[in-house]
This record gives sequence, C-alpha cells and structure tokens, in this order.
Amino acid sequence: MRTLIFVMIAALAVGCGRQAVRASEKQFLADQVMVFDDDPHESSSNEHMRTNREGAAGGKGAGGGGCGCN
Amino acid sequence: MTSSLVALAVVAAVPSIASADDRTEVSTVLFVEQREGGKGGLVVVHPQASFGIDLGRFVTFDLAYAADVVSGATATVYQVDAISTATKFDDFRNEATMSLGFQGRRSRITFSGTFGTERDYLSRQLGGTASIDLPGRNTTVGVAYTHGFDQVCNKDNGMATPLESKALVGDDQCEKPGIVAGKDTAGVTKWEGLSIDTAQVTITQNLSPTMNLQFALFGQIQEGFQSNPYRRVRIGPNSPQEHIPDTRNRWSFSARLNRYLPKLKAAVHFDARFYNDSWEIYSGNVELAYSQYLGKSLLLRIHSRVYQQTAAKFFKDAFFYETESTAGEYFTGDRELAPVRNVAFGGKLAIISIGGEKPVWGLFDKLQLLAKGEIMLFDALPADADNPMGTDKQFIYGSSFIDAVSIQLGLLGNY
Repeated sequence: MRTLIFVMIAALAVGCGRQAVRASEKQFLADQVMVFDDDPHESSSNEHMRTNREGAAGGKGAGGGGCGCN
Repeated sequence: MTSSLVALAVVAAVPSIASADDRTEVSTVLFVEQREGGKGGLVVVHPQASFGIDLGRFVTFDLAYAADVVSGATATVYQVDAISTATKFDDFRNEATMSLGFQGRRSRITFSGTFGTERDYLSRQLGGTASIDLPGRNTTVGVAYTHGFDQVCNKDNGMATPLESKALVGDDQCEKPGIVAGKDTAGVTKWEGLSIDTAQVTITQNLSPTMNLQFALFGQIQEGFQSNPYRRVRIGPNSPQEHIPDTRNRWSFSARLNRYLPKLKAAVHFDARFYNDSWEIYSGNVELAYSQYLGKSLLLRIHSRVYQQTAAKFFKDAFFYETESTAGEYFTGDRELAPVRNVAFGGKLAIISIGGEKPVWGLFDKLQLLAKGEIMLFDALPADADNPMGTDKQFIYGSSFIDAVSIQLGLLGNY
C-alpha cells in the first residue's frame, strides 16, 4: 500500500511544474481517442455488466484527461 | 436482481469527472447470457439517457436516467441433487442522477445525487467530485467521494439464527410508501440498511504530445446487509438464506495508458488493475484496445480483456456444503465470490458527423452514431483441489464456446 502511494506521489511530482507538453503540442492529446472514458454510457454499461459476475467492481478511474484542459 | 443493484450502486458511487462539453447521449445495451439447457439464462435491456448543459460561464447541470429490464431464470446449481429446474424471474429498475457543477479556469467541482428503485432495493447516494489542472496543464488531479444509504428488502426472520433463516421469495411484499423509503411488513419482510462509502483519487498525466497516463486509487467501505436475500445455500438437509459478513473493505489500484500513432491516425490503449478486499478476494485484469480512424467520419475500436479472481475466504464449494454440513459462520453460493476467469473480445464503430458553419441536424457541433458488440467467455475455476464434484465441474456455464453477448447502440451529440 505504501509503495502504491509512493508511486502516485512520485508520478505527481514528475508531472508538477514540468512542461512535458506545450499547449501548441496538444492536438493529438485532444483527440477523442485519447480521452479516458470518452463515452460515459459505455463505461457505466461495461461496469454494470461485469459487476454481476466479478467480485471486484468499481475503481476503474475517472473520465477526462487528454488535453489537460479542465 | 438485488445484487445487480448493489453492483450498480458501486459503479455509480464514483461519478466520472465530467467533460466540460455540453453533451447529450441516448443508448441501449442488450445483454444475453446463455447457460446450459435447463439451467437458466439472463436477458437484460439497459437503456440510458443523459443530458448536460452549461448554465452561464461557471455552472453546469447534468441529468441522467438509466433503467434495467431483466428477465431470466436461475437454476439450483447443485448437481449433487440433480435439481435442474430453473426459477424464472423478471425485474424492472429505474435510476436517476442529477449533478450540479462549478468550473473555473483550471478546476471543477461537481455535486451529485442519485436515486434508484426496484422491487426489493432502494439506492440513495450523495457525492461530489473535484479536479484541478496543475501548472503546465499536463497533470490533472481528481478526487471523488460518495455516500450511499441503501435499503435491501429481506425476509423477516425474527430471531432466527443464520442456519434457520429463510430466503425472500417473489411473492413476499416489499412495501415502499412514498417510493423513497421501505416499510417493514411484520412477519413477512424487513428492510435492511446498507451504507457504502467510496473514495477515489486519480492522477492524469500527459507524458508526451502523443501519450497520456492515468493512475487511480479506489477505496470503499460497505457496512450492512450484503447477502442476496433470495439466495439459498444447501447445507446438509437444510436450505437457509445465504449469510455473508456485514462489513467489506475494498481497494484497487489501476493504471491506464493511451498512445496516439499520428502516421496511422490510430491509438493503442492499455489498462491494468489490481483489486483486493477484506473478504480476501484478489483480482486482476488487463485490457488492450486499438482505435483506428477510417477516413474522416469512421472510427473503429477493437478490444480484448482478461480478468481473474480468487474466491472469498468463506466461499465453499456446493459439494462441501452438501456433504460436510458444517458450513462455518458464513455461507454463500454467489458466483461473484467464487474463483473465476473471464475473457472478452469486442469492437465498436462510431460514425462521426462534424458540423462546420452549419450544425449537424441544426443543433450539434458533433454527432456520433455508436454501435458496439462484445462476446464473453466465462470459466469457473476449482474452489477446492481434487474435488471431482467441484464448482468448476458442475457450475452453470454451458459447453458452448461463447457464454454471453452484448450489443450497444447509441447516439452521442456535443453542442
């Protein structure tokens, strides 16, 4: 558990303050195929179907991402 | 059906960090699971509709509705008794969600409420999500929390011990005066409480102009009645209601990666997840997908997924319950708590229309017609070593190659 938290904090620290991608370079990141859970209906239906036969529902992640423009 | 609503409550418990776009979507999923002749099956029609709009510059409002129309049959699966008659059932559930969001230049916070109802279950949830883009706008941190205060209709077993408790049956009345709360019917049914607290932290990171990554850490505490009130477990000569612990603590960690391939106008997607809970279920899944643009208006995605889990610590094979009689403090025949492996393959086609100066259908900036199909293969794994009558030998999945199929059709519009 502590290792996982460390990994997440490290990932965050790597991202903070670093110009990994400039705004002018986000053309591909803004494409719909690069957005996590771009189709919320599909995501919820998938989880709904799986939770009736798998004991590990939930916690897949959150939608968004891509261009990083909240 | 109760278990499916618990499941949906779990799914809905951490709402997605919503897109800033105004969007509306309608879709329907048809799910068909076929089991070996005479041992039941399941058909679910799952329509959804959602609508989101900006109220001025800083406020968003979202409404969503989902339903389940379920019909099927559940077999008594203990082949020891050679009971193969399936019990038919059908159910109809409704769920509505309302969200209010506030967005700034780099941050967003959303509050939501969800209410779901069906014959034997009431789901009520309040929650919120918040996300912020860190300086550089390459890192997004999101947090989410929900509290569910659900109610499950159970048989009124009075002071009976677990081994004496009877299961709920379809004819038992589950009263819901005023819809939002259940009312006990003395000597017949009793509404049990179930509290679900869920929290999630996500970090989404742009790694390069063509690659992004997301980590998610999920935790959940479930406290209250979690058995399926209808499910019976044969223990020696008796068939008491399933009895499982009231407390379940769950957590998972997942990582997802997208990589765009500009020369191919395509993208590859990778998803991996590890899960564990206080019932000692360990599971993992890996998913791979590939998206390919075909011309300007077609997008094809193919995907595959493998999932495997261990059994809950109190899960015993039906053969064990039947022959050993002493089941222990808890007993269940729930396949979600059994050792299983699932494999799925599927494809999705999106027909995309982008409006230029003239909106599509006079309204949408972008409109997508979506069609998706998936096949699923289920494999029950041995719960006990060297058991010739083990769950893997007798369980419900048939001898056919494909165990279930789902088809989804949808229309998604951004305006």
